[in-house]
Amino acid sequence: MTDKIRNASTTTRRQALKMMALTGVAGIFAPNLLGKPAFADTPPSKPTGRIVIGFSQEPTVFNPLMPRIEVDDGVHFSLFDALFRIDPEGRFQPALAAEVPTTENGGISKDGLEWRIKLRDDVKWHDGTPFTAEDVKFTLELVVDPNFRSWRTAGHSLVRNITVVSPTELTWQMETAFAPYLSILADTFIVPKHVLEPEQDRNTAPFNNAPIGTGPFKWANRVAGDHLELVANPDYYGEGPYVERLVYKYIPDLTVLYTQFKSGDIDIIGSQYITPDNFDEAKKLPGKVVNLVPSATVECIYLNLGRPQFQDPAVRQAIYAALDKQTIIDALYYGLPTPTESYMPQQSFYYNPDLPKHEYNLERARELLDGAGWKPGSDGIRAKDGVRLSFTNSTTSGNHLREQTQQFIQQSLAEIGIEMSISNLPPAVMWGEYWTKSQFDTVIVGIIFMTGADPDVTSRFHSGAITIKGGRGANNGQYANEEVDTLLEEGGRTFDPEARRAIYNKVQEKIRADLPLLPIFQTVTVRGHKAGIEGIVPNINTRIDTWHAAAYRWKK
Amino acid sequence: MFGYLLNRLWQSIVLLVIVSIIGFAVLNLIPGGPLSQFALTPGMTQEAMDRIAEQMGLNRPLPVQYLDWAWRLVQGDWGTSYRDGQPVLNVIGRHVFATLLLMGTSTAISIAIGTWIGIRGATHRYSLFDYTVTVGAMIALSIPTFWFGLVGIYIFSLKLGWLPAGNMYTIGDGSALNYLRHLIMPSVVLSLVNVAIWSRYMRTATLDVINQDFVKTARAKGLTERRVLMKHVVGNALIPMITLAGMQLPGLLGGALVTETVFTWPGMGRLFLDSLGYNDYPVVMGLLMFSAILVLIGNLIADLVVAAVDPRTRLD
Amino acid sequence: MTALAATSAPSAWWQSRGVRRFMRHRLAIVGLVMIAALTLACVLGPYLLPYDALYIDLRARFSPPLTGSHYLGTDPLGRDLAARLLIAGRISLLVGFFAMLLSTLIGTVIGVVAGYWGGWIGAALMRFVDAFLSFPSIFLLLALAALLEPNPLMITLIIALTSWMEVARIVEAEVRSLRERDFVLAGRMLGLRSMHIMFREILPNAVGPIIVAATLTVARAILLEAYISFLGYGIQPPLPSWGNMLNGAQQYLASAPWLAIIPGIAITMAVTSFNFIGDGLRDALDVRSDHF
Repeated sequence: MTDKIRNASTTTRRQALKMMALTGVAGIFAPNLLGKPAFADTPPSKPTGRIVIGFSQEPTVFNPLMPRIEVDDGVHFSLFDALFRIDPEGRFQPALAAEVPTTENGGISKDGLEWRIKLRDDVKWHDGTPFTAEDVKFTLELVVDPNFRSWRTAGHSLVRNITVVSPTELTWQMETAFAPYLSILADTFIVPKHVLEPEQDRNTAPFNNAPIGTGPFKWANRVAGDHLELVANPDYYGEGPYVERLVYKYIPDLTVLYTQFKSGDIDIIGSQYITPDNFDEAKKLPGKVVNLVPSATVECIYLNLGRPQFQDPAVRQAIYAALDKQTIIDALYYGLPTPTESYMPQQSFYYNPDLPKHEYNLERARELLDGAGWKPGSDGIRAKDGVRLSFTNSTTSGNHLREQTQQFIQQSLAEIGIEMSISNLPPAVMWGEYWTKSQFDTVIVGIIFMTGADPDVTSRFHSGAITIKGGRGANNGQYANEEVDTLLEEGGRTFDPEARRAIYNKVQEKIRADLPLLPIFQTVTVRGHKAGIEGIVPNINTRIDTWHAAAYRWKK
Repeated sequence: MFGYLLNRLWQSIVLLVIVSIIGFAVLNLIPGGPLSQFALTPGMTQEAMDRIAEQMGLNRPLPVQYLDWAWRLVQGDWGTSYRDGQPVLNVIGRHVFATLLLMGTSTAISIAIGTWIGIRGATHRYSLFDYTVTVGAMIALSIPTFWFGLVGIYIFSLKLGWLPAGNMYTIGDGSALNYLRHLIMPSVVLSLVNVAIWSRYMRTATLDVINQDFVKTARAKGLTERRVLMKHVVGNALIPMITLAGMQLPGLLGGALVTETVFTWPGMGRLFLDSLGYNDYPVVMGLLMFSAILVLIGNLIADLVVAAVDPRTRLD
Repeated sequence: MTALAATSAPSAWWQSRGVRRFMRHRLAIVGLVMIAALTLACVLGPYLLPYDALYIDLRARFSPPLTGSHYLGTDPLGRDLAARLLIAGRISLLVGFFAMLLSTLIGTVIGVVAGYWGGWIGAALMRFVDAFLSFPSIFLLLALAALLEPNPLMITLIIALTSWMEVARIVEAEVRSLRERDFVLAGRMLGLRSMHIMFREILPNAVGPIIVAATLTVARAILLEAYISFLGYGIQPPLPSWGNMLNGAQQYLASAPWLAIIPGIAITMAVTSFNFIGDGLRDALDVRSDHF
C-alpha cells in the first residue's frame, strides 16, 4: 500500500516537470547534458582506472544498425552517438546535432514535413576523420538500403530528398508527418561513411567486428564468449569519459553474475541485474550500492484474440479478475514490481493514472463467466457453443520466475473452471513464428511498448499491424478496434505533447477496457555497483543501464 | 596398410555426410530461427525479420541451403556465425583454449589418480581398498556431474567462500594462480567420472598383464615385486590406455558441456548451448562436424594402436 | 560397452561362481533392494503423504526440510518436496524404463539384421550405427528436444533414439559370430525361414549381453533425462521430474540448498542401483567386457 502512495506522488511530480520540459523549452539546454547529479569532487582531468560491467547475455552485434538485443545496445551507447539522446526525464538532448529540431526553432515545419538538422562541428570519428552531415545522410540511406540487414525501416522509409547543405547542416522531407520519428532518430546511431561506403557488402564488413564510432569509448578487443574491452576516447566532444577502460563481461548465469558482484569481480551488475530474491541480502552488502530502478518493461499476459475462447470480453475480464496480482508480486517477486493497469510505464508523461483498478475476485470471475453462458462441463471445465475454456500458456523455458507465475495462475484459473496448460519453449523457438505469426494461445511476456520516450504503439495495437492478416507490425495478439486505430493514426500525426497526451490516455482507456492483454506489473530492476563509482544514472527511456557510461568514474 | 587407410578414409567421408545431413535436417526443422531473438526488440516487426531472412538466404529450400553449406565446407569455408558475423572456425577456435585447459587438467588428474588406483586395485585384489574403490567408482559414475558441481559450488563458494563459483579468471588478473583457483572445482568435478573410468580400465589391463608369462618369468628371475610391477606390468598395461585416451578425444565437446554450463566456463560446450539457443546454425553445424571428425580420428587412432600393439589384429 | 563383448559357450551360468562374483552379487542385491524400495515409494508414497505434488501454497514457500509435515521441505511455490520427489520418480523411472525397452528393441532388430545378412545391408546398417555414434549424444538430445514437444513420451523417444547403437553393435557382433555355427547351418539346411533362425535360434544366445546392456541403459537414460531437463530442454513444469526439479535449484542454491541436494540424491541412488545390478548381471551371465 505504501508503495502505491509513494509511486503516485512521484509520478505527479515528474509529470509536472515533464510538462514544463515538453511545452516549449525543448531546444534550450543547460550544459549538464546528461542530467547527472552534481559530483562531490571535480572530475579527473585524465581518464583513469577500469570499470567491469557484468551482463548475463553476450553482446555480439556491433554494427548498431543491424538487428540487436539490449546488451548490444548497451555497448553501442558507449561507442556511438545518435543525433539526439533521451534523458531520464524523457527530454531530448542534442548529441551529434547542435540542437533538437522543434517547430518553435524552425527545425521541423508546422506541417511536420520539412526537417532541418544542424550538427556540431567539433566531432571526430575514432580514426580521426571529422564527422560531417555526409555521415548522417549515409546512415539514413543505409538503413533503408534493401541489400542491408537493417533492423528497422519504420520512420526512415518516410524520409525523402536528404540534402547536405553544409558539413554541419542537412535537410530532408517526410512523406507524411510522423511525430515518433524524433524518438526513432534518438535510437539510430550514426555510422561513418568513409569506412562503410567503400565496402562491397556492409553486412559482413570488418567494421561490424571492429566498429569505429564517435562515442566516448573506442573499440579495444573482444574475447568471444567472455568479455569485451573498450578504451577511453580522449577526443570525445561531450562530457567524459572518466575511466580509461570499460569492460563488458559476459556471465551467462544470474546466480554466478550475482556471486561475482558480491565477491567484487565485477564493479557494476548490468542487465539482467540482481534477481528479486537476492534483493534483501544485496542491499546489506558492505561496499556496494544497491537500489531499485523501475524499467519500462510491462509484464503481461498476451492473449491471442484470434482464438475463439478469447473473443468474448467476459472471458478476458474473468481471467483478469482471477489474476491474483498482489500475491504474484509480493510472494514471487518479493514485493518489488509495481502493479499496473496500463501497458505504459507510470513514469511516462503520457501515462494515464485514472484507469479502473484491478480487483482480484474469484467470485466475480465466476459470475462473469456464468453470466456470459460459459457453463462447467462434466470435466469441470467451462464451455459454450462447443468451445472449451482451455488454452495453453507459454513463456521462455528457463525463466524461473515466469514459470512460477504461470503455475500459480494455472491453479487460480482451475478454481473457476478454466484449464490452462503450460507449454514452454526455448527462446529461439518461442519468439519465432510461434510469437510473430500468432500461433500461441497465451504467453507471459515482458514488453517495452514505448519507442524511447515516445508513446506510439501503432505496431502493437493497430489492426493494420497484424502479421498473419498481411499487416505490417507486431500486433501478435490480433487486437482490432476501429476507435483505437483512428486514435493511433491521429497520435502519429500530432506533434503537440499536450494533444498527444489526451490521445494516448484514451488509447490506454480503450486497451484497459478491451483487455487484449492482461497487465500484471511494471518491472522494477535491482541494480548494484561498487560504492566507489559515481555518475551512474538510470534512464527509463533506454532499455539498458549503460546508456551514459561516459559519465562513470571512480571517486578519488 | 595403405589400402586400409584409404578404405577408412572413404568410410569416414560417408559417415560425415550422413552426420551432416541428419544434423542439418534436425536443426532446420526446429521452428523459430536465428532472428527470433530480436523479436522482442521494441519496434521489431515480422516484416523486418522476413526481409532480413531473405537477405541471409534463410528462406531458400532446405536441400539448397544444405548443398550450399556443404559445398562451401568442402572448399574450406565453414560459414559465418549468424550471431556475431565471425567465421565459424574463428568462433570455435576462440573457445577451444578454455575447453582444452579444462579437459587437459581433468585428464591429467584422472590419469594420475586413476592409474594409481587401478594398479593398486589389481595388485591388492579383493582387499578392502579394491572393494571400496570398485563401489566408489560405480557410485561416481552414477552421480549427475552437474549436481556434483552444484553441491561443490554450495560448499566451497557459497558457504566457505574458498573458490569462485564460475568463470575462467577474474578480469584484470591474468596470473596463473587466478586461473588455478577458477580451475579447481570444474576440473575436479569433471575428473570424478574420468577417474572412475580410468581406474576400472587400468585395473582390468593390469590384471591381464600380471598373469602373463613374461611377468611370471620376471618374477622367477628373482626381481623384486616392485621392480616387476614398474618395469613390466605398468608399461604393458598402459598401452591399451593410449587407446582409451584416443577414445576420449570426442568427449571434448559433450563431456565438458554440462560442467561448463554449471561453472559458466567459456568453452566449446557453452558455445554449443548458446549457439543452439540462438539457432546459430553455422556454428552448431561447425561444432557438430568438428566433434564428428574428432570421433573418427579417435576411433582410427584407437584401431591403429591396437593393431600396432597386438600382432593378432591385422588391418585389412 | 564395446563390441568386444562375447558370451562363452552356452554353459549354465550358475555353475561358476567365485568369491568375487559373490561380492559382486551382493552389490547387485543392494542395487535390487534399493531400486525396489524407490519404486515402491514412488508408487505408494504419494498416497500416504498429506500433500499433492502440484498443490501451490505460497505461504509455505521455501520451508526447509522437517517443517511440520513437509518432511523434505517445500519448493519456491510452496509445493511439498517429498510429494514432488516421488511423483518425479515415477516419471523419471518410467522414462528410463521405456527408453531402455525401446532402444533395446531398435538395437536388437538392427543388430540381428545387420549381423545375419552381412554384406552390403549389414555394412550400410553398421555405418548408420557409426554415424549415430559419432554424434555427440547431447547434440542429438538437445536438438530433438527443441524440435519436439518435450513431454515425457517425447523425451522417452528422444533418449531411446540416442541410446540404441550400443545394443546394435553388441548384437551384431554376437550374431555375426554365431551365424556360421553348426546349429544355424543345420537350421538353414532344414529350410527354416530367416526370421525364425534370426530371432528364435540365434538371438537367445545373445540374451546375456543384451540384458546387461539394457540394465545399464536404464541407468544412462535416467541420467540423460536429468541432463536435458536440467538444461531446460526436458520435461516441463508443473510436471516434476528429477531433472527439472534441479533446473530451478541453482538459483536458490544459497537460500534453499535442499532444493538442489534432495533430487540429486534420488537420481544418484536410482542410477547407482541400476549400475550395481548391471554389473552383477554381467558376472552372473558371464559377459566379458572391458567396460564395467
